[in-house]
Amino acid sequence: MEDVAVGTPTEQLYQERLTRYVTAMDVGKPDKVPIRLNLGEVAATYAGFTLEEIYYDREKNTAAATKVLTELDLDVTPGAPSLWWASLHDAVGARYLRWAGRELDMNTQFQFVEGEYMLADEYDAFIADPTRWILETYLPRIHVDFAEPGSYRANLALVKGAWGLHSLLEGMGQDAARWATDYGMPSAFSGLGKAPFDTLGDTLRGMKGILLDLHRRPEKILAATDMLVPHNVYYALASAAGDTLLPDLMPLHRGSLPFLNPKQWDTYYWPSLKRVLEGLWAQGKRTIFYAEGNWTPYLDKIAELPDRSIVFHVDQTDIAEAKRILGGRFCLSGGVPNTLLAYGTPGDVADHCKRLIEEYAADGGFIVDSCSVMQTDVQVANVVALVEAVRAHGVY
Amino acid sequence: MGTLGDELSSAMAELEEEKVLDLVKERLAAGEDPLALVRSLQDGMTEVGARFESGDYFLNELVMSGEIMKEAMVEIEPLLHGAEQEYHGLVVIGTVKGDIHDLGKNIVVMLLKGAGYEVVDLGVDVPAEQFVEAVKEHNARLVGMCALLTASQASMKETIDKVRSTGLDTKIVIGGSYMNETIRENVGADYFGTTANDAVKLAEQVFASA
Repeated sequence: MEDVAVGTPTEQLYQERLTRYVTAMDVGKPDKVPIRLNLGEVAATYAGFTLEEIYYDREKNTAAATKVLTELDLDVTPGAPSLWWASLHDAVGARYLRWAGRELDMNTQFQFVEGEYMLADEYDAFIADPTRWILETYLPRIHVDFAEPGSYRANLALVKGAWGLHSLLEGMGQDAARWATDYGMPSAFSGLGKAPFDTLGDTLRGMKGILLDLHRRPEKILAATDMLVPHNVYYALASAAGDTLLPDLMPLHRGSLPFLNPKQWDTYYWPSLKRVLEGLWAQGKRTIFYAEGNWTPYLDKIAELPDRSIVFHVDQTDIAEAKRILGGRFCLSGGVPNTLLAYGTPGDVADHCKRLIEEYAADGGFIVDSCSVMQTDVQVANVVALVEAVRAHGVY
Repeated sequence: MGTLGDELSSAMAELEEEKVLDLVKERLAAGEDPLALVRSLQDGMTEVGARFESGDYFLNELVMSGEIMKEAMVEIEPLLHGAEQEYHGLVVIGTVKGDIHDLGKNIVVMLLKGAGYEVVDLGVDVPAEQFVEAVKEHNARLVGMCALLTASQASMKETIDKVRSTGLDTKIVIGGSYMNETIRENVGADYFGTTANDAVKLAEQVFASA
């Protein structure tokens, strides 16, 4: 996707890395086991910035990523440590976020305040016209500055919010382009996807709201998730600017154990998610199925997806089961526990990576990554050890 | 799955929200002892916990049972005035400083209350000193510390160190879906729990050895 000058050493490096990454996602055997690290806030630690700095100062946020990707031998970059720009949310008075350096200490992870931001009796209005409902009911509820729609302050907030988001996305695109052209580093993903059940359960009804809805108004969940399928397909493609070379990243939440019972999972979680994944794949867009938590009981269902349409990311899922059920048809990623990266020694990390590669990457179709996004509990020396070990043992 | 003789306990175990509330209102109107109703509801909650342990119920069923219990207590509590609630023990709980997540903690609180424990809920982003104060004030034998962020382990360790330095014989359990033995050992807790029901099982264990 990025515009890299043809015939230069940087372009060659870019192509090597990209080919390595895509070959693994196609369940093939590249020259080396690719490394795709989901470096979150630990990249700030690495670069010597506070979390306040990477949330509020976009140049430092970008600089942290640049330092990591020029010093560590990675194959793709997840982008800057913070996907979020705190100033944008402050400018419109977001009630649902807490930032380092504002409500939290300058080195505390930013956080989302979960709540029932969509009420139980608002399903019908949401389903009938989601955009209108978001504009007229949701935005005023979750932002101080939108509290009175149509007011001077709310109108100004729309201008600030729209400009801020555009500026952020444009900046992220420019960063990705520069990492490709200057350092031959491809992006790990393009675009963000969501499971329809998570769209409802994460930021609208909230966890408690949606878990109670399963008992009190299950038919509304079905109607809402059904309505969301085309929206979520569109969003993943639109946020990738139509790119289909790289996969979209889909962090998955409420479908992990032990939120739903198997019947609920089969009825309320999976069908709409499957349609989103198939809808994307029909347009050539692969998805990183970033399965946060444990998804072991659902692997057989996930195996129903078209070959190569996802990269299944292993967090607490039984990796041997994932390999047995999905291996050969889908690329797997992950496998390095965050607890190990936080408390292990570099030697422990190296041993683990060696075993991981021997047991799970021998036939290809495997990408090494941490099990979950790396926060400040992860030791930088262990990240370095991970990369060195994968390079030492991960040559085919 | 077990079956329960009492209709109210059984309705609770089956998560029949309307039936539970109707029965509670009927029985209160008939002059039944409110404490007996609480005990019936707690029996139902215990069965819900057992079904969660055996894999028949999942988190949503636990949350639903806690919600029904809460609604039932709205009816019962005003009539408990004067009656001495018998608690199995007192638990101090909170989300450690730097972490503002309360979903998991709130489920644990609901289940502990439902199972008959008195719970002192310190809320979220709780400084170590506040844990220490609460442990001293209530002479708490069990303290629960919750975190969702992996980055909150340093804060957990600091809080545990401060509680330990009081010299009080307090058992400390850390809770959160990513907790494990390595983290327990490094932050210095006595136990770890990964699901809400772990807290109830642990409370039974700690207070049984009283």
